[in-house]
Amino acid sequence: MASNKKYWKSVEELKDSPIVETLSKNEFVEEIPTDEFLGDKETLENSSTSRRDFLKYVGFTTAAASLAACEGPVRKSIPYVVKPDDVTLGVADWYATSVADGYDFANVLVKTREGRPIQIMPNKEADGTTSARVQASVLSLYDQELRLKEPAKAGKVISWEDADKEIGLKLNELKESNKPVVLLTGTMASPSTDKIISDFIVAYPNVKHVIYDAVSESGAADAMLAMYGKRVLPNYHLDRAKTIVSFGADFLGDFHGGFEKQFIVGRKPETGKMSYHVQFESNMSLTGANSDKRVVVKPSDQVFALLNLYNAITGSNVPSKATAVDADVKKMASELKKAGSKGVVLTGLNDVNAQLISLEINKALNSEIIDVNNTLNVRQGNDKDVAELISGMKSGKIAGLISYNVDPIYTLANSTDFSEGLKKLQLSVALSTENNETVNASNYVLPTPHFLESWGDTQFDEVTYGLMQPTIQPLFNTRQVQDTLLKWSENTTKYYDYLKSFATTSVLTGSSWNTALHNGFFKKEVIEVVESVESTVVISDVASKLAASAKKSSGFELNFYTKPGLGDGKQANNPWLQEFPDPITRASWDNYLTMSISDARELGFSNPVKDNGAIDGDYAKISVNGKEITVPVMIQPGQAKGSIGIALGYGRTFGFKKEMQVGVNAYPLYANGNNIQYGVSIEKVSGTHKFACTQVQKTIAGRHDILKVTSLKDYKTVDPKDHHHGWNKPAYVSYDHNEVEANTIDLWDEHNREIGHHFNLSIDLTSCTGCGACVIACHAENNVPVVGKNEVRVGRDMHWLRIDRYYSSEVETREEAKELGLSRGDMYLALETEAENPEVTFQPMMCQHCNHAPCETVCPVAATSHGRQGQNQMAYNRCVGTRYCANNCPYRVRRFNWFNYANNNEFDFNMNNDYGKMVLNPDVVVRSRGVMEKCSMCIQMTQATILKAKKEGRAVNTDEFETACSSACTTGAMVFGDINNKEDKVASLIEDKRAYGVLDYLQTKPNVIYQVKVKNTNEG
Amino acid sequence: MSHYEAPIREPLVLGDKSYHDITEDIAKPIEGKANKNWYIAFYISLAAMLWGFGCIFYTVGTGIGVWGLSKNIGWAWDITNFVWWVGIGHAGTLISAVLLLFRQKWRMAINRSAEAMTIFAVFQAGLFPIIHMGRPWNGYWVLPIPNQFGSLWVNFNSPLLWDVFAISTYLSVSLVFWWTGLLPDFAMIRDRAVKPFQKKIYALLSFGWSGRAKDWQRFEEVSLVLAGLATPLVLSVHTIVSMDFATSINPGWHSTIFPPYFVAGAIFSGFAMVQTLLGVMRKVTNLEDYITRIHVEYMNIVIILTGGIVAIAYATEFFIAWYTGSPYENYTYLSVGAETGPYSWAFWSLLIFNIFTPQLLWIKKIRRSFIWTFVISIAINIGMWFERFDIIAIVLSKGHLPSTWWRFEPTFVDVGIFVGTIGFFFVLFLLYARTFPVIAQAEVKTILKSSGEFYKKRREQGILTKPAINVVSVESESDKSDKE
Repeated sequence: MASNKKYWKSVEELKDSPIVETLSKNEFVEEIPTDEFLGDKETLENSSTSRRDFLKYVGFTTAAASLAACEGPVRKSIPYVVKPDDVTLGVADWYATSVADGYDFANVLVKTREGRPIQIMPNKEADGTTSARVQASVLSLYDQELRLKEPAKAGKVISWEDADKEIGLKLNELKESNKPVVLLTGTMASPSTDKIISDFIVAYPNVKHVIYDAVSESGAADAMLAMYGKRVLPNYHLDRAKTIVSFGADFLGDFHGGFEKQFIVGRKPETGKMSYHVQFESNMSLTGANSDKRVVVKPSDQVFALLNLYNAITGSNVPSKATAVDADVKKMASELKKAGSKGVVLTGLNDVNAQLISLEINKALNSEIIDVNNTLNVRQGNDKDVAELISGMKSGKIAGLISYNVDPIYTLANSTDFSEGLKKLQLSVALSTENNETVNASNYVLPTPHFLESWGDTQFDEVTYGLMQPTIQPLFNTRQVQDTLLKWSENTTKYYDYLKSFATTSVLTGSSWNTALHNGFFKKEVIEVVESVESTVVISDVASKLAASAKKSSGFELNFYTKPGLGDGKQANNPWLQEFPDPITRASWDNYLTMSISDARELGFSNPVKDNGAIDGDYAKISVNGKEITVPVMIQPGQAKGSIGIALGYGRTFGFKKEMQVGVNAYPLYANGNNIQYGVSIEKVSGTHKFACTQVQKTIAGRHDILKVTSLKDYKTVDPKDHHHGWNKPAYVSYDHNEVEANTIDLWDEHNREIGHHFNLSIDLTSCTGCGACVIACHAENNVPVVGKNEVRVGRDMHWLRIDRYYSSEVETREEAKELGLSRGDMYLALETEAENPEVTFQPMMCQHCNHAPCETVCPVAATSHGRQGQNQMAYNRCVGTRYCANNCPYRVRRFNWFNYANNNEFDFNMNNDYGKMVLNPDVVVRSRGVMEKCSMCIQMTQATILKAKKEGRAVNTDEFETACSSACTTGAMVFGDINNKEDKVASLIEDKRAYGVLDYLQTKPNVIYQVKVKNTNEG
Repeated sequence: MSHYEAPIREPLVLGDKSYHDITEDIAKPIEGKANKNWYIAFYISLAAMLWGFGCIFYTVGTGIGVWGLSKNIGWAWDITNFVWWVGIGHAGTLISAVLLLFRQKWRMAINRSAEAMTIFAVFQAGLFPIIHMGRPWNGYWVLPIPNQFGSLWVNFNSPLLWDVFAISTYLSVSLVFWWTGLLPDFAMIRDRAVKPFQKKIYALLSFGWSGRAKDWQRFEEVSLVLAGLATPLVLSVHTIVSMDFATSINPGWHSTIFPPYFVAGAIFSGFAMVQTLLGVMRKVTNLEDYITRIHVEYMNIVIILTGGIVAIAYATEFFIAWYTGSPYENYTYLSVGAETGPYSWAFWSLLIFNIFTPQLLWIKKIRRSFIWTFVISIAINIGMWFERFDIIAIVLSKGHLPSTWWRFEPTFVDVGIFVGTIGFFFVLFLLYARTFPVIAQAEVKTILKSSGEFYKKRREQGILTKPAINVVSVESESDKSDKE
């Protein structure tokens, strides 16, 4: 029904007046006088828009435009539209998984927040331990510079399909022409991967699997093969040992992956028994530093000392030579015999003959400490295979190389042979998580995920089967090596399915996949017992070969070692680990030549302390077997005269930013994986090296109440508070002209501790090996910034938790100095100077959370104040940065933000890029410049524990409270808890007769309690 | 009686001066043109000041990290300079307040400049606590002002907070006292000014001083009251500054003798600085007749006294460090440990400049020599800087835990800021010397006839036997009250 209504706007329109039409054609009724306005100069000049108006408009538009431009940068945070089931914002998820990167192996728990792994902690149910490197590996996941992001061919991005097709074609071609291809991997210790590799070899019979460890322990595995028919590493149950004799085996460091947990279990003074550990070594290792007795002996003499020990124990007479330490060897022989099956000998010499001798000694002792059944799989590298590979590549015999997560061009001594051989190959494929020189030199580059993004399984020893599960979506376009190999073997199964069926069918008897995955491990009940195979080893041959290996030459003997920080150098681009101070030298961002005090004096090397507090060093050119490198020299007390040491793993530069390119690559001298090189010549060359040490004064300077050490005998027999011989004497002060114990009088009112929690941390100096896992755990938990080498050098490291290391001096007390008749100045000098072969003690030091905190009274704005739960709290927002608190802190644990360390190009570390920032703990604020910070006793963790208990409607469980350092501590030296809960372990520890507070004479009443270090000096 | 002075006393005003001559002498630097030396000195100071400001901006813009401090040494040149400048600021009030109460007429020639020096030095001192903060833009948080941050309040336990009160009180009282004294002199300049602009300015500065008897009476009363108020401040300021150290627990800082020892040290250094400044000023502004040998000698005697107190304090510190037998006291700034340690040069600088050099003043010839006095005063200034540097840097460099022992080396910024404050100080002082009456001429006129050389000689010769009663028009109220 159409309407014929007419709509109109005006009467004129209704009447169809012509004016309407005219107007509708003409938008502007009056003509706009543009021509008039702009065309005629005169009119323009007379126009009403004056200069003033013009300026006004210009001003307004400029201001408006610039105001609009002034908007702050927009940082988008995208909320979950649909909340994932397993993610609750603000609540951490923990996944049990495993770490296996070729050098570090651990069963761990990974903390994730909003889908990002931010911390790695030991899986204690699986007896897992985490070293500093394992702790720090969470940051390597986010390595923006080195992580490989796309598959590539000859430097150009390629799709996975194309890569698979091309490589598959090439592999088949090589298979048909039967040209050998080598699959070169590091140690993976993964049963399912081993199976995949063997399947791959079945598919491609021309493929050979070569395992290459950058830092080799091939000798020990070869010795096991010769003696027991199994190419594995023996296990050592040091917890049961009575006498441990080690020849350069750094078993608290990286020897066989480390045994610090077992070692410390056997050293609990309260049980009345401690193992007696004697270390014969040339470098000052972490193990030597923790030994009861350290015998300084250079490597060649270690060989003969080992042979002499063998002779003394077995009564045989293999060829050897007298050494300067024979008296000690003889003594230890009788000690070992006394200990019988509870004695054990270890040697760190990577020489099959030396390892055979030590196996023989243990056999002769009938040692139950060494375990050849439940053996270790953590170093499977085979030096012989590697040598063959290189010669094969050089000669052109080998046609293809598939490498996985190894960097031989960096880690091989004869790396030029390797890289030249690589060029001759018809097929070179690098599967790798990180970019490196080998990856760069390979034709195909296939990125693999980090182990925190991967599925997998592990078998570090024969008992524990570990599982690895992804804790984050892969960050980059990566594919696991297992998937790649499956694909190339024409197996269409996904690795996840493969792993699941592998595990359920052949491992998880009596358990389910889900349980095992949840726990992260599965303990096998039955292990095969090795039948002692009839060994073909002829000891006299072995001994004479060994004796011959200790070449007598005029030069120095170079002993390679690995640092707890960098290990083999796989994580050299990890700023946490670079900034991590070496436990022994306290130097960060460097490796160096360690040299004995007397050698340094003779050769003219020195380590002067500069006016800014930093240490300098001279350079030495060392050459061996025609290769030479120039390294700075660090004088090391306790280094054997005639020997020198250098850490591997430094000096990596490929793909590194300039500030990360530190240290010297020592691998070129590490010929044949032999950790001892004889006949090294040293030449002092010009130049001054700038070290970055976090501690300069090496001794305790007579202040023994800071660091109390006693012997097991005294611990058992002497009253700790005895006025003369007491080993835990309290401080005395004069009060009303009477001598009273310092902690009985008090200037201040006590805090009321009746209600709520009262946190204490106990640190057992006997159990602390100084490994530094806690330092990195603290780094990760508390977003501690990395400041770089130059800042550490001038004393501005930000570590909330540090481990002080003290050497003993020749003159230990003022009384001794007086007896020697030293003048006062000489006495101070003597107390300050470290002994040539000192004893070493470690002392973790962090905020002591004093109940009467000196820092609290002096802050003008009350930015630091005392918490109800015993913490000394720091309100960053309130801090104005007077640094008075730091000056008044007798422990000097407060750290000042001298600069902005986040989002600052001057400090281009993990807090300056978007990937690196993913590791930050969202529970802890990132501090700005100008404020003080320090240990908070992980208040975010204790509060989370309290809230969790509250939500679950229960009291906090006994020993439920944890801090990052205490949960990372492998040996249980750090125990944290609530002393208001008398059941908590720490409540009894603070009452222990070994407990003392550092500097308690100051009446600071710390909430961190130390336990006197007890050494078994074997006197009783 | 009041205007009679024993003839044996040396005259305080030399030459044959009339009241008008005094007026002329004092007004000359203000009314005349500056000479070339003034301009050279001014531009050098200005350059230093600007350089210092540049360093301050750099620090505030970048972070305290541009200084040479470290995790173990949280203060060094910043607080050294702060205490040094505060110490220098001590002489002014002592001279104008304490000496006024003790009726020391010789103060009249020097109190104006001494007090100017005080105020300018306190300006410099006040800079450091602000810029040494990590976040100086939040510096006002140290003031107990009502705020919207919640229940946040300052920490009254902190000596740094006491510093805030002590320094600001001292600065304000000193400023008021100084200005009060300036009123009649500004009025004198105002009355002489011929250019309307200058007249206007000095009229404003003189607060409408009319010179009536009531003005003079109030002037005297206020002076007396302020002197009474200021005297405790002489003691309190450096006592409190010393408590920054004394209430802490660092061996070498934690020392009960710090308050008196610091006060003595401050007066010691303050007088040394007055000697330095006046030694130059009397020459440059031709005021040799007013700042005479006897003035210098009197001040040197104060230096000997306070220097002696300081020396005894040093000896006590050294003895106590040894006597405690505590290994923690081995390395305090006055100990064998400091003497043999890396800071032995600073240790010896302190002793040589502060203890040995001032002993020369026992010799009358040296004490009365302008040149020697100038040299020794410079030495004391250096020595007193080292005292504070030693206390701070040596003590912090050897803390309780040997693992925290460290060393301090200044950066160019540290040096720049210190030099900058010296520049700033001299800029202020040079401007002051050109625009302010540098001698309290009104007061000096009151003693002209009793202590002026010409009148003294006249009296000695018997020409003028009677006390100069004809000066009643400018006789001060306080003198009158004396008579009663």
